[in-house]
Amino acid sequence: MPFVVSIADAQARFPQYTFLAALTPSEQKAAFHVRDAAGRHLCLKVIAPGYDVRRVEREIQAMQALQHPNVVRLVEYTFSATGTGTTHYILEEFVDGDDLSVHLTGAPWARPRASRFFAAMADGLAAIAEKDLVHRDLKPSNVRVRANEVPVIIDFGLARHLQLTDLTTTAQGARIGTPAYFAPEQFTGTRHDVDHRTDLFAFGVLAYQALVGLHPFSRLGMDYAQLQTEVCASVAFKQDATFKALPPMWQLIVGKLLAKSRAERPTNAAQVASILRKLETV
Amino acid sequence: MKRGIWHQLGDKNQIMAQEQIETGNGVGVILSPRDLALEKATEYAAVYRELEAEVLWDPQFYLPEFSNDNLDTYPTSDHRVSISDLAKFDAAQLGKLRDALQSVSQALQVDAILAPAVIYQAGHADLLRLNERLLAIAREVGAALGKPTYATVVFGRSATSSDQTLGPLLEHVTGLPSDGWYFGFEFEPERVPTDRATVKRCCTTTLALACTGRPVMHAFAGLMAPLGLGSGATAAAIGHSQNLWRFSPERWQPSEPGGGGGAPPRFFSRSLWGTIVHPDELVQLDAALRGRVITPSAFSGSVTANPPQPWSKWDAHKHLLAIIGAEAARLIGTGGAKVIATGVVQLLKDAVALHADIRKQTGLILKDGTSVYQDPWRIAMEEVLRDNDGDYKYLELL
Repeated sequence: MPFVVSIADAQARFPQYTFLAALTPSEQKAAFHVRDAAGRHLCLKVIAPGYDVRRVEREIQAMQALQHPNVVRLVEYTFSATGTGTTHYILEEFVDGDDLSVHLTGAPWARPRASRFFAAMADGLAAIAEKDLVHRDLKPSNVRVRANEVPVIIDFGLARHLQLTDLTTTAQGARIGTPAYFAPEQFTGTRHDVDHRTDLFAFGVLAYQALVGLHPFSRLGMDYAQLQTEVCASVAFKQDATFKALPPMWQLIVGKLLAKSRAERPTNAAQVASILRKLETV
Repeated sequence: MKRGIWHQLGDKNQIMAQEQIETGNGVGVILSPRDLALEKATEYAAVYRELEAEVLWDPQFYLPEFSNDNLDTYPTSDHRVSISDLAKFDAAQLGKLRDALQSVSQALQVDAILAPAVIYQAGHADLLRLNERLLAIAREVGAALGKPTYATVVFGRSATSSDQTLGPLLEHVTGLPSDGWYFGFEFEPERVPTDRATVKRCCTTTLALACTGRPVMHAFAGLMAPLGLGSGATAAAIGHSQNLWRFSPERWQPSEPGGGGGAPPRFFSRSLWGTIVHPDELVQLDAALRGRVITPSAFSGSVTANPPQPWSKWDAHKHLLAIIGAEAARLIGTGGAKVIATGVVQLLKDAVALHADIRKQTGLILKDGTSVYQDPWRIAMEEVLRDNDGDYKYLELL
């Protein structure tokens, strides 16, 4: 159930900003497009009461460490409690544009476009990995696309720092994120099995969607168990006619991104970015 | 990591490695001290560097409690304890081990830090965590000295015996933060590995490590050096001693007295890709077969003399290293990993044919199973080429 705050209520609570539009809320946050007194366009996320403060602080730590054109920039974080209640919000750069999901409706994309777009996105992922972070929830709605087609990775609410203790409960194991973009290890592994290559699998799903126009595993009406079987065991996505019509090198890189075993996936996003740039004219 | 053949040593072959490098065979040296004091290792490291060879030092925590008088001269020796005790090291103890690693690395002026690591075994998550901690301190040393740090990845027999046991470990290690790989693979205890499936597994593991885009040292490669290079390894390490022909923890167990001291020397033939005893077996071949078998080197004059002369065991060892080094250099000169692998298949195919001709014409079956591994190796390499074409193409993209 998403955490919904009306734009009028939000405006009343944060009068220093001009609220321009409500954005898609998540379970933990109600998000708004706002403008501050200096005229800057920002994204204000009101955090649901009772939401784990430690998790939010992890998200903040993750974002503070990142300064990259393909990763959303943190502007401010406020958490204060008074006798009358708490004020808890995140202010981020507002990435003008659309979600990647809007752009995927026009798939399959031309390969040069896919090369440029996903190489830039891989740059962002490389910056995330450089800080020892795993995003864990890459999906179309967490990738904003600027008017000039530059992707920006947003929403670090489920990010994990690989060198710090995970806040996820043992019962949750590795199953954090959005199942349609889960890697096999998120279905079947433990927290120890989730690493940078888990993000690369989701990245591969997005790339496949852009190049082929279909999700490689998920179909309408599929339940969780069926999806798990597809993601963990099926390579039927390689038989799609549009996929098979791609040049072999494109099939190779997307196929490796979607490998079941992490050992067979590319090791890091920087490597993927470099390869995708080489494929711009292929 | 310089590309090519490296010399692995640490007992009685320091001067031999020096001579090989002086004659152009080898681009680096791995000091794997088994019975070599730090003072001597430091002296030799300086000599090797003078010859423009790179130098690595393997701290060898495979049997972490193993030591002897010479190994006790390394500061790391103070931290040689059982695996279970090593796993209990707290931050202070790890800090001391890190300082000891740094001290030896500085003394030897190594070109990269090899992380200490215990042997990976199937189903032992505790070993994964232990090796992660050891890698972390090695990375601190690397950062302090401005050197790359290579993760030591040595898979024990419980891991290498099947794809099912090796797969999860490979998933883990390929995610480790390292600047390269120092890779060892334990086979069944044979003089030379003969099991096709296991040899193939060793090759595909090498290829998986190479596909990370980081340099791979195939340590203890021995006669398998060409297969390592054909599987994407940047470098392969060789040594004359049979305990350097393949990774085996027995190397770090106290030696038994005796051994093959009185045995006649073996001639390593490129065209057999194996040994033949000089003169006992060689004299049983007619001139034509002898001509095909004898692949000379600067150290084989006694064998090619007419009539053949007694040959020293040390010259036989030097000849072995020279032939493997020359063949590796030739293969590297032909192209990338896939081209090398194709060359390895041809090398082994020719060897199998020659062994068959010897058997057919003389009825001679070479001693110690020296003709039984070439065909399984050939098939393994062919299967790697067939089944891992995507990996080879990916390697070319990097």
